Amino acid sequence: MENNNLNKINNGEVAVAQEDTRKRGFFTRIIDGFYNFMDKTYNKVIVYGILIAFVLTLPLWASNYILQVAWNAMFYMLLGLGCNIIVGFTGMIDLGFAAKFAVGAYTSGILVHTFGWNFWLTLPIVVLVGMLAAVLIGGPALRLRSDYLAIVTLGFGEIVRIVARNLEITGSASGLSGIKRPYIFGVQLTRIWMWYYLFIVLVIIFVIASNRVKDSRFGRGLAYVREDEDAARAMGVNVVKYKMWAFIVGTVMGAVAGAFYVMQMAAVSPNSFQFTQSSNILLSVVLGGMGKVPGVMAGAAFFSIFPEIFREIGEYRMLFFGIALVLVMIFRPQGLWPDRRRR
Amino acid sequence: MALMEVKDLTMLFGGITAVNHLDFEVAEGSITALIGPNGAGKTATFNCLTGFYVPTSGEILFEGESLVNVPPHKITDRGIIRTFQNVRLFNNLTVMDNVMSGCHSISKKFVGSALLRTPSERREEAEIKRIAEEALDYIGILDLKDEIAKNLPYGTQRRVEWARAIASKPKLLLLDEPAAGLNRQEKGELVELINRFRDELGMTVFLIEHDMGMVMKVAEKIIVINFGTKISEGTPKEVQDDPLVVEAYLGKEEEEEAV
Amino acid sequence: MFSTGEIIIQQIVNGLILGCFYALISLGYTMVYGIVRLLNFAHGDIYMVGAFAGFFVFGALAAVTGTGWLSIILAMIAAMFLCGVLGFLIQRFAYRPLLDAPRLSLLITAIGVSLILQNAVMILTNGEFKFFNHSVNPRAGITFGNLTITWIQIVLLGITAILLISLTWFVTKTIWGKAMRAISMDRPTCRLMGINVNTIIGITFFIGSALAAVAGVMACVYYGNVHYFMGYIMGMKAFTAAVIGGIGSIPGAMLGGLLLGLLEAGGTQVLGSSWKDVFAFGILILMLIFKPTGLLGKTEVERM
Repeated sequence: MENNNLNKINNGEVAVAQEDTRKRGFFTRIIDGFYNFMDKTYNKVIVYGILIAFVLTLPLWASNYILQVAWNAMFYMLLGLGCNIIVGFTGMIDLGFAAKFAVGAYTSGILVHTFGWNFWLTLPIVVLVGMLAAVLIGGPALRLRSDYLAIVTLGFGEIVRIVARNLEITGSASGLSGIKRPYIFGVQLTRIWMWYYLFIVLVIIFVIASNRVKDSRFGRGLAYVREDEDAARAMGVNVVKYKMWAFIVGTVMGAVAGAFYVMQMAAVSPNSFQFTQSSNILLSVVLGGMGKVPGVMAGAAFFSIFPEIFREIGEYRMLFFGIALVLVMIFRPQGLWPDRRRR
Repeated sequence: MALMEVKDLTMLFGGITAVNHLDFEVAEGSITALIGPNGAGKTATFNCLTGFYVPTSGEILFEGESLVNVPPHKITDRGIIRTFQNVRLFNNLTVMDNVMSGCHSISKKFVGSALLRTPSERREEAEIKRIAEEALDYIGILDLKDEIAKNLPYGTQRRVEWARAIASKPKLLLLDEPAAGLNRQEKGELVELINRFRDELGMTVFLIEHDMGMVMKVAEKIIVINFGTKISEGTPKEVQDDPLVVEAYLGKEEEEEAV
Repeated sequence: MFSTGEIIIQQIVNGLILGCFYALISLGYTMVYGIVRLLNFAHGDIYMVGAFAGFFVFGALAAVTGTGWLSIILAMIAAMFLCGVLGFLIQRFAYRPLLDAPRLSLLITAIGVSLILQNAVMILTNGEFKFFNHSVNPRAGITFGNLTITWIQIVLLGITAILLISLTWFVTKTIWGKAMRAISMDRPTCRLMGINVNTIIGITFFIGSALAAVAGVMACVYYGNVHYFMGYIMGMKAFTAAVIGGIGSIPGAMLGGLLLGLLEAGGTQVLGSSWKDVFAFGILILMLIFKPTGLLGKTEVERM
């Protein structure tokens, strides 16, 4: 079949849409350069090698404060990755992700502290409770339009926080504290560097899970739902079912992260689950680049470290943050992490 | 028995009767078209056939089984695939991902196999990829498979939609105004493709279309509706000569002749 | 002691007052949602800014017109105007560029604006509570037995009633009101019909913000203090009210506001105040599950 247009495109006579090239501004060209640099295997090995060495040896030369910050960043990465499944992959809006980590944190915390369970045994329960919570919230809400879903998740976030604040079993306003740290292979996890390594393992697990989802039929289905629900339906995707499972997977990830969090902190209180928390998690997903796993991780790391770095500006920092947010949304809504250029 | 039978189909929206007791059949292996002036009810009928609307009354039978109340995502399981009038591709995904969506109902792998990355999941993914590449090759755009859909020119996007539609080799292909926005050469290619879908891939094709010229060239049987009611049915020649059809399109004839 | 009847009446009055706050603020949410499909997170902070605007204007006027009702009303008018302009500017620079972008972008921008407003005020006021010292007697009013309905409450109810009636008249009888309703149904067509969509959207934000400002100044008078964080929970509740009444529906927002106020007053009486927020959110969720379009909302038919 004659295909003149196609030949012209392939011969470079007709450009495949100018938008692509025009939007590649200064910042993106730097990243392009970075990707080109990384294309060569030799360079890749060296850069990754240095990064891995850096990350693995951190406890040897960094102070406990830095380790705490790093651990915190990783915790946010876990939350971001969980939220990413719901918001980044599937395109839903979740304004109450903090509630999910609350659910995991309190479940584990109560079981260990009040009932004396072994932490590791609480994990399957945490997964089950997470699934249950997802079904309860998501069941009715996921059929609603995206705006309504936003409201419902927001409402649930607040409800979970207020209920936690008022019930005795969750320790009321002061929460639970003095929780005994768990043991692994006979060693009690008391030092921050132990948690640092444990969380590296968790991050790796979460990243692998995310990538597996992304590259599977399930993940493709989620992307179809995100891009165009009706077209997805027409191609055989049961939109409600896919949304539900994305919600379940994301919630379980958040809950599990919460369970580990509570064990490191040896405490949990309702103050950790305010709307600001949910909003930070959401922002790290959106600003990091919806669905892009490395972008989300970078975003999460940024949001957890941000308060530390900008401590000197003090009270102005949230103001600048708000301004930055508005500017980014107007000028670069697809997130700050650039797209991989077609190789 | 015809592949698809539409019986007494009626669709009401509040006070508006979009489809009015419509009856027609689509024979297996045929190329049938539903035409009518703007607002005649073609799209409403189409949406009923594809599960996007639930008809107020009437019946739609596909291979003898009812399609009414079947949600859109289950219609593909029956072997029916539709396209959209305004090319609804998954804009930020690659051409390859788009066409793979056409094969979505071939596999049933879900969350568990995704997280565990079972060998059968990997196998089915590879199979879907292979089938998608076949479809892309058939349409002639295999070398564009890694392009992002929204960056492509309109005509090429249409091709991607066709590749997506035929990938799973459906029994019935439902095309929603496939010629919209195409230039003369592209329309000619479309007519050729539709014939190839039927001759080489064994599909039955049903389309709704507004472009009379193109329809006359490609369809074997034409059903004409206006105000939701069937006003004529027959071969292109029969329909062209039907005074009722001429009257419905009065004034638009000159425009169509230019194609 | 109070008889049951008196308690009920007292709570009804309390509920209605609370309802006035919610109604005035939720109107802003609903009007904006109706016209541009945005859940304006920053709206609660407009209420807060209105309260502060009223506070500062009142303070400035005190030397000239005293600390009684006159100054309060003048401060209210000034706050209405200032917030209206503020709402208009926010819409013009932060929301308008994103009207056709995915919903999530707009939501995030609204969060950003909310942060800006809260923190700007926090910095300006050093995060302190400011006390509104008016000279109206908070206890004076009409008395029935053990019950008093104060003049402040009566005035607030009166102002709210006047505003709600005026708004209803504006939306149903004037050409701008009709344009607003048309735009909320089908924006592209309105553009094609020559309606200046951008101006109408701007007016909508202006009015919504002005009403929130009224609520803000009323809060100054009724509660006696202002704080940069006051918009947060009030905003969420008013938002709940808008959803209960049917988001996008103006009579719905009014109804939802009053209803929520009454329910909350009743709920506080029965459950105690620490649960009252859960109460509001609980109603919200139930509403969304069983009737997401709210009490007066219209179901939307999506055309393919």
